[in-house]
Amino acid sequence: MKKFDKEQQKIALTLFIVAFVAVLMLAWVNMLTKAPIAAAQRAALHQSLLQVLPEHDNDLLVDMFKFPVSNKKLLRVFPAKNKKGDVIAYAWEQIAPDGYSGTIRILMGVRTSGEVVAIRITDHKETPGLGDGITKNKTWLNSFVDKMLAKTKWAVKKDGGDFDQFTGATITPRAVVKAVHKGLEMYQQNQDEILKAAKKQKERSLAKQSSQPVGGDK
Amino acid sequence: MAPSTDDTVSKQEIFNDGFWNNNAIFVQLLGMCPLLGVTTSAENGFWMGLATLLVLMGSNLIVSLVRGVIPAEVRIPAYIVIIASLVTVVELVMNAWMHEMYLILGLFIPLIVVNCSILGRAEAFASKNSVSDSLVDAVGMGLGFMFALLLLGGVRELFGQGELFGFDVFGANYPDVLVFILPPGAFLALGFILAGVNIINMRVKQRKEAALTTLAPVSDLS
Repeated sequence: MKKFDKEQQKIALTLFIVAFVAVLMLAWVNMLTKAPIAAAQRAALHQSLLQVLPEHDNDLLVDMFKFPVSNKKLLRVFPAKNKKGDVIAYAWEQIAPDGYSGTIRILMGVRTSGEVVAIRITDHKETPGLGDGITKNKTWLNSFVDKMLAKTKWAVKKDGGDFDQFTGATITPRAVVKAVHKGLEMYQQNQDEILKAAKKQKERSLAKQSSQPVGGDK
Repeated sequence: MAPSTDDTVSKQEIFNDGFWNNNAIFVQLLGMCPLLGVTTSAENGFWMGLATLLVLMGSNLIVSLVRGVIPAEVRIPAYIVIIASLVTVVELVMNAWMHEMYLILGLFIPLIVVNCSILGRAEAFASKNSVSDSLVDAVGMGLGFMFALLLLGGVRELFGQGELFGFDVFGANYPDVLVFILPPGAFLALGFILAGVNIINMRVKQRKEAALTTLAPVSDLS
């Protein structure tokens, strides 16, 4: 095998140094931004949770618990509790896989009695100006408020249901309505288990608190 | 490396060249992907333009600093590493401190890496010129790009939604012309803007020629 000549060594060394410096810089910036990014994401999540849950006296992010919907999927559930510590509503993310372009992520808040508190769209790739009415059209979003599984036809008007579609966009609202309906069905089927899981989470956080020195929380 | 061209080209000329005469969008038609993708509103255009401007300044600065040090055979991979790192930095910083804007632009920020106007400036200008000239070039080019995004975003938002920077302009009764918000509208609006730019450039040229013919030829014209 031929030995590398000087020129080739220089080339390899240069590329190595460039890559090395780049890695150092990225590692440093990553370190700097890690905490602010996590904080920003929590703040954004908290902001949307406030919009779909009624007034409450607990820290939604602290009381979050994971609930196994099926044997594969864990659903993150955020319970809203009153002063006495009883759960009054839950919020979770429901995913509509059948949007016009890709999945739509919906944050829905549901009272323990089974009525929708409110829904908000957290992520979507629907057509601007048409399908994205699901985020902008307040009247449409508000049409979900207080709806429950019974007494409501969970479909868009075109399909004989109770919810408006938009001019030029039926697929998007149809997907959202379907997903919220599914979410409510899921809640009705698992109501007792979800409450149990919420209580378990409370015990766990109480145990954690008592094991910590007083005033340790911030 | 060739000697730098400091003495022959003034900073003002470099800036004008980047901002207008050789504008990445209006003249070179580079960087179409972010242009057409994010310019549904003036605000999106502004932030995307700002992100690109910062990356361009960083890459021109670094590339002109290491010019002559990096062997010619591997300059392109080296430039790409530099640009990709800068874009990642901008992305992380935006995610941390401008989270809402990050959520809107999210997908398009990594695409700044493949914006050919940035690699183009590194290769065609920064690798051959002084640090200060390269920075002026980056600011000119970057602002030119930003201006183009802002203009296109503004036009599309104005006609598509009757708003500008989120403020109602045409009143509540304005029938939104949806096509401007949709992807084809980006091409349409860009076409009209390009026509406008060409008209302006032609007028300027005619006026210059007219001035030349009416006045006696001046000796110091190059």
